[in-house]
Amino acid sequence: MPSLTPPSGGTQRERKRGKMRKSRLILAPAAMLAASALILSGCAAEETTETTESAETESSSDDTTTEEAPAETFEVYALFPQGNDQAYGSTLIEPLQANGAELGINFTLSNSGYDATKQLAECEIAVAAQPDGIMLWPAVGSAVRPCLVAADNAGIPVWVINTDVGPADAPLTYGYSGPDTYGQGVASAELMCEAVDGEEVGIIQVNGAAGNGTAIDRDNGFTDHVEANCPNVTILAEQNADWTPAGAKQVAADMISAEGIENIGGIYAADDSMVDGAVQALEDLGEDASDYFITGIGNTKLGNPLVKEGKMYGTVFQSSVWEGENAPEYMHRVLTGEIAKGDRVTAYMPSVKVTAENADDPEVAPEW
Amino acid sequence: MTETIQLGGAKETGFFPRLRTIIGRRTEGRGVILLLVILAVLAFTQPLVFTALPVTIGRIALIGIVALGLTAVILMGELDLSVASTLAASGVVVAIIPDLRIAIPAALLMGIVVGIINAFFIAIVGIASFIASLGMLFALSGLAFVLSNEVPVSIANQDAGLAFGQPLFGPVTPRILLFFLVFIAIQLFVTKVKAGREFFAVGGNRQAAYDSGIPVKRRIFTGFIISGFVSALAGVIYTLELTVATPTAGSTVLLASFAAAIIGGNYLKGGRGSIIGTLIGASSLGVLQVALFLSGVQVPVQNTLIGAILLIAVITDPSSLRAISARVRATLPDRTKVEAQ
Repeated sequence: MPSLTPPSGGTQRERKRGKMRKSRLILAPAAMLAASALILSGCAAEETTETTESAETESSSDDTTTEEAPAETFEVYALFPQGNDQAYGSTLIEPLQANGAELGINFTLSNSGYDATKQLAECEIAVAAQPDGIMLWPAVGSAVRPCLVAADNAGIPVWVINTDVGPADAPLTYGYSGPDTYGQGVASAELMCEAVDGEEVGIIQVNGAAGNGTAIDRDNGFTDHVEANCPNVTILAEQNADWTPAGAKQVAADMISAEGIENIGGIYAADDSMVDGAVQALEDLGEDASDYFITGIGNTKLGNPLVKEGKMYGTVFQSSVWEGENAPEYMHRVLTGEIAKGDRVTAYMPSVKVTAENADDPEVAPEW
Repeated sequence: MTETIQLGGAKETGFFPRLRTIIGRRTEGRGVILLLVILAVLAFTQPLVFTALPVTIGRIALIGIVALGLTAVILMGELDLSVASTLAASGVVVAIIPDLRIAIPAALLMGIVVGIINAFFIAIVGIASFIASLGMLFALSGLAFVLSNEVPVSIANQDAGLAFGQPLFGPVTPRILLFFLVFIAIQLFVTKVKAGREFFAVGGNRQAAYDSGIPVKRRIFTGFIISGFVSALAGVIYTLELTVATPTAGSTVLLASFAAAIIGGNYLKGGRGSIIGTLIGASSLGVLQVALFLSGVQVPVQNTLIGAILLIAVITDPSSLRAISARVRATLPDRTKVEAQ
């Protein structure tokens, strides 16, 4: 005779309800987590403002004769494709926020991870929030028109940094400050031509991430200059890497295998991190990198020692601090009406060439 | 005396017991609770989310549209990792063909073809969907770079693109309208159409589905075609709105789509879930992202939070709870044996 006693734990229905209750109980932390984050985010935003204000107060009380608290404060949305997740972004954001605080600009930062669609969505949100201004570091330089149109329609001024927009979009912005990415490619090519000094040399070229605006500009700048000014330098092969040493090492090794090490006399990489990878690829083959003509861009913490060791002939200094310090200055000039719509200002950071002669100079001390 | 053995629970009668039963069968509970909590908190901390409603809905549509197509595949216990690269490749197709009247159908057709190829490898060749769609992800990503010559490609008719981003009526932009049309179409298909309802059977118990005469392979083809088509549609929308196609488009789409589907209560092994759940999941994520952005919360913190919510959503799935509970019981000493000793 079957037992009528339900198994321990109750009937199937009761057990199911128990599990559902359990599920809902465990869900509570998720909901609480979301709620706490949202509340904390509100507090964080308030805290940022307070910190800025207290810094201003402290500054004005300590040095009342020379500095004054900003007469006016501004809310600016900074739509960036990178942030504290990358070395350049993190070393740019620090002076940006510090200088912004001094000028009375409170930045709300975003990071689209180089996704142009995500950046457009962030731009829509920023326009809806109606800030005093928008600082735009385009994820893709040619994909910013809808964002610029939306900001323009809402009467919000836009200042562009790091990667300039195209000529057709430029009138929708108040100006640009940052590196001359095409000019950096040219400067690196000048270093290459100088290093080669008329010798017939075949080189391989490691470009930045495919489709990236900076990578395209630097590639064009380098290629145009070499073709026009040093026909003795032949670009045997070129490939894109992902800005990382590991990616560059792989593509450099592939190109060396394909072209033959005996035919290669030099390497150009669009970033010092990638130079480091290319140098590793040479050393893995038992080669001495100092026997090759190698140039890069960045003068980074990876690149500067390579110049000092003689493994890289030269590089082009890109200062994240210059960019971080100057961007709020120009934004402030826009917000105070000093730069009017239609007066578009372009401010390039100096593309200082760094070779063994000046690699130790404090002016070109690597920042990222 | 006659004893009655009742198998299963007694049939619930009355409005509230029936309502309780209906609610008990739904899988969207976690998503609904999360969304309500988020909305309640935001009402006090970030009311701009509500005043800027068109932007918030637009963000939901952005996250949700690919997730809706993906859900059709997830319901059958399959995965489609190629959605983001389908989006990128179809976007490039729209940009490289100058005439939009040809470009848009070509891009959508491409999505359908991608779905058919995915389904062929999964249903006919027998490759796991994770592997097949991973291969498709790389192939389409490469194709997008080749077709675009590795640079962003602007659409020929810029004005049409800019007009596409403008509201049609009220706050409703074409993106939002298409999102809701896709939602209604897929929702009706999986709830009212026999072929769509069979997705649940295919995902719940594939052998039983075969045995009961459901054309499982045909359903897998249907699911992947829906996923491919919707991803391509998203690619068309993205490209028109940006006026430019980038071969790297949609790089953040894949994870967001899966997150929306999972938060909405869709079971990754198939058989349980709903399109409404995905809508709720996308809404939760979209509103949360807008609020965190407006609050100036750093992206790594946003990602950590969303990751934590996703993890909790997976853990609180009833089947995961059962597995955890069984593990705990297995590791604890058997009480009866302890007592006997």
